[in-house]
Amino acid sequence: MKVTKTTIATVILSSSLITTAVADTIKVGVLTPMSGPFSDYGQQFSQAIEAYQTQHGRSVNGTEIEFIYKDLSGPNPARARSLAQELIVRDGVDYLAGFVFTPNAFAVAPLINQAKVPTVIFNAATSAITKESDYFVRTSYTLPQVSVPVARYALDNDIESVVTLVSDYGPGIDAEVSFVEEFEAKGGTVVETIRMPLDSTDFGPYMQRAGSLNPDAIYAFLPGGPPTYSFVQAFSDNGLKEAGVTFLGTAETQELDLQTLGDSALGLVTGFHYSEAHDSETNRAFVKTLKDADADAVANWASVGAYDGAHVIYEMVRATEGRKDPDAAIDAVRGLSWESPRGPMEIDATYRSPIQNVYMRRVERNDEGNLVNFEFDVLSDQPDHGWNP
Amino acid sequence: MTQTTVKPSLALGTLHTGRLPIPELIALVVGLGCFFAFPSNLGFMTEIVIMILLVLSLDLLLGYTGIASLGQAAMFGGGAYCAGLFALHIHNDPLLGLIMAALFGGLMAGVSGLLFLRAHGLSFIILTIAFGSLTFAVANQLNWLTGGDDGLYGYIMAPLFGAFEFDFFGRTGFLYSLGILLVVFYGLRRLVNSPFGLSAQGIREDRQRMTSLGFPVYRVMLMIYIIAGAIAGIAGALSAQTIQVVGLQSLSFTMSAEALVMLILGGTGRLYGAVIGTVVFMVVHHYAADLDPSTWMLVIGLMLIAVVLFLPKGMVQLVDMTRNKVSRLNGGAGHDNSK
Repeated sequence: MKVTKTTIATVILSSSLITTAVADTIKVGVLTPMSGPFSDYGQQFSQAIEAYQTQHGRSVNGTEIEFIYKDLSGPNPARARSLAQELIVRDGVDYLAGFVFTPNAFAVAPLINQAKVPTVIFNAATSAITKESDYFVRTSYTLPQVSVPVARYALDNDIESVVTLVSDYGPGIDAEVSFVEEFEAKGGTVVETIRMPLDSTDFGPYMQRAGSLNPDAIYAFLPGGPPTYSFVQAFSDNGLKEAGVTFLGTAETQELDLQTLGDSALGLVTGFHYSEAHDSETNRAFVKTLKDADADAVANWASVGAYDGAHVIYEMVRATEGRKDPDAAIDAVRGLSWESPRGPMEIDATYRSPIQNVYMRRVERNDEGNLVNFEFDVLSDQPDHGWNP
Repeated sequence: MTQTTVKPSLALGTLHTGRLPIPELIALVVGLGCFFAFPSNLGFMTEIVIMILLVLSLDLLLGYTGIASLGQAAMFGGGAYCAGLFALHIHNDPLLGLIMAALFGGLMAGVSGLLFLRAHGLSFIILTIAFGSLTFAVANQLNWLTGGDDGLYGYIMAPLFGAFEFDFFGRTGFLYSLGILLVVFYGLRRLVNSPFGLSAQGIREDRQRMTSLGFPVYRVMLMIYIIAGAIAGIAGALSAQTIQVVGLQSLSFTMSAEALVMLILGGTGRLYGAVIGTVVFMVVHHYAADLDPSTWMLVIGLMLIAVVLFLPKGMVQLVDMTRNKVSRLNGGAGHDNSK
């Protein structure tokens, strides 16, 4: 047993040494859904990374950076772990990236701790993830980070009573809990908290219930896609919109769904960290590069997460000059701040998640007649309100 | 293989006296061969071994007893959560956790089987689907216990036998899972060839006749259901212990359905059919997804259609065809292929 173990270790070690020795290419393994119902994420990620590489070149100081995509089509910790392991051991990647679903990120935490592989999370939004490994960096957001500012905005705008309606699953519950805590702590009244089954398609009854309670606003959280369409439709069909109830949300009006939502989305208020219509040079350049490559491309929070994720990886490679030095790489991005298409952002030095502005947006039509999330207010430099060391 | 040539009078326990457990030895050699040949794919190979266990449990139900279930993931996920929670709150020894998960899987099957096995055919399948959805919903609701969508995490397994750490390459994880698979396979092989196993096969062939012959049909089926539940629980525990995260997907309908697809691909009613089906499905899936991460499903679909069209009894049919040819050449009587 002893002999065999050492032999394997030597073989693997020597093969990894060979790859480090000739490392004029740095490989980044991207785990993301590429097939199945969540494949939009893979498309958004790869388009955004491509845009970043088009703008900033494919190499950093002579070190070429190559992205390898692996299909991880849903929450599946076993697959996440085996794919990550293969990427590290067989393909010799120096960085991992992607991660749409929280359990998949948790599953690779022990791996990246042992193998010391810096891992950039483009999406998964549960606060606790970065606690599980010092090698995690997140470029998306966390649910409390966007829910708490929405609660504060509501309180500042004479909204005193709210009914929350969330999909009954992890992220929905996180969003509800952090909103309710903040809203009630500052003197607001949550009349009722409604949790709707994740696969609901008929939201009429929930809307009627919410409407009968006469709140000033409803606070909603739903996963993107078809449920959101019918939810938003139900909001106007059941007279809540007419009665002057404010719709408060976060990602419900995200850009991939926005045009499909149609007129029923007009006037919805959401608080989120990225809008395709964000008014800045950086964002216009980003959106233009995306659309130059593919006219149908749409920038949403997943794109900006991957774009900034690519930036973080480039910075890590720059700081380590292409050498394999994971600790130095992570240290280089702790506290890193830059101008992202979303606005100014910073990676917190302790919890390695963004500190960023949360913008209050209202859905409006732009000059071309397209629906956009128009930013009308900003709550600056929001930390991860859910961080709990 | 051996089980088709065994005489009905063979009692439990005679199989191993004076005979080597050939299939297990072959599996051991193949397993160890893969261990050395693909040191960087150990995570994937562990996934295969665990899936084989789940598919074997389904084969025991469908292939040997004629009970079609689409809810085997309930016991798999139940075992996984049981092992994860046991490691998190009580003790992190892997073997102890494995035993707990087997008991829990068996218990879940026992309780649900008591009720469900009164139903037959389609209504039974629907009940198993309902049971699967129920456990999924319960695990989702018990957020404080199971972690809900975030998954159950944060436990670290103690070294196996107090000596072998669960390492990052997955060496311990793979050998541990392989060892458990061999033990379960051996146990199953003895079980299906024992008088008890043969009465289960009798139930598959003609349930009414077995009843009129005076066999305790319901009791045999319940026992089989419990054993299959325990094996699924063991598979779940291995998954929880080697990955150190349990996700809700371990309880999902997709999990049950995929296991059934693998079994049908390989061929029901042979233990090695379950093994072949799982290996082929997962390896093709893996390499197809490697080549083209966005359209690999097409390959899987085409493969399934081809197998169902040309090998309706699954891939074991290939084995049968060759064996029949050989025995015809030898002037032998051929085998009964209906099993």
